[in-house]
Amino acid sequence: MSEKVLLVDDEKEFLEIMSERMTARGMVVTTTDSADKALSILKKESFDAIVMDFQMPGMDGMEALKAIKNLKPELQIILLTGYATVEKTVEAMKIGATDFLEKPADLEALSEKIKNAKTEKMLIVEKQMEEKIKDILQRHGG
Amino acid sequence: MVDDKEGLSKSGMRFFGKMSASATHEIKNCLAIINESAGLLEDLSMMAEKKPPLSLARVNDISQRVTRQVNRADIVVRKLNRFSHGVDRKTQIANLEETVSFVLDLASRLIAMQGVVIKVTSPLSRIMVETNIFYLENMIWKAIETACLAAKEKKQMVISFGTDADTPSIWFSMDAVQNDLMDDLFGSKEDRALMKHLDISIKKNKDNNGFGLLLLKRNPVTPN
Repeated sequence: MSEKVLLVDDEKEFLEIMSERMTARGMVVTTTDSADKALSILKKESFDAIVMDFQMPGMDGMEALKAIKNLKPELQIILLTGYATVEKTVEAMKIGATDFLEKPADLEALSEKIKNAKTEKMLIVEKQMEEKIKDILQRHGG
Repeated sequence: MVDDKEGLSKSGMRFFGKMSASATHEIKNCLAIINESAGLLEDLSMMAEKKPPLSLARVNDISQRVTRQVNRADIVVRKLNRFSHGVDRKTQIANLEETVSFVLDLASRLIAMQGVVIKVTSPLSRIMVETNIFYLENMIWKAIETACLAAKEKKQMVISFGTDADTPSIWFSMDAVQNDLMDDLFGSKEDRALMKHLDISIKKNKDNNGFGLLLLKRNPVTPN
């Protein structure tokens, strides 16, 4: 099954080419140019992974990461950045980023990370379902 | 004296780092688009091998995109180069409005990231000053940064100029400001060292919604 990806970057030309190339590799890609818009999309749709630029006008990368994790804790977020300092990387990982990739990114490496992110998300969702079932069984004395 | 020197050099290093990081980030964005364009050409040629023909219009479109990004990166490199040469001379004669425009251009990405809209009102006549251009740019950036921080929700700023012959000035005004931030303008050791080096003093404006950088006596130069 193809991976469903939300691609967020303020560089419109980057969005156009990346989505074309990712689509050619079998992914289903939605694009948007700001973290605010990404949050609105996430309220209505579900994705296997978000690939997001870490430095965009408006909401800053760390702020966006927190807001997304708050809204959908199971979501896998891969950050794209011009230059990642160790400090920022650690901070973002603590908040819940799945992975980092420096620009210009290698599409094959990114595709691999997206596949891993999808697997990870499926495991989290499965675990959540298991816990829900356990909870229902306990409450109904099953 | 040691404190002033240290404060000045720290301020300069910080400024240089911030501007370089912003410019190189923009160059990286250009490179990312060029890189993906090359990748897209590769994808298209592989597809054309299996299922010709390859659309020439599509290739032309990608080639134009690469050219656009090369030009964009070239402009950023030129700005960065001009900025780096600012440290070449201890003092030089500079046009105040041009210097402000250059800082706004150099820091355009940083300003856009803060969501601030800046309008510049040109002075009635050219204002020329003799100064250390690098530190003046540093001071102008500090003022923009401070004004952005002090601005309340609606982030709109007007930059204007005072053409007083002895004390030319640059004014930064916002729609509304957070008063607590206006109480301690440029109070750090670094800021004080920078102001002392440039012979600049700070004055709040009449409406208390902004401030001015007043370039003291030794700076003005009569325009040619």
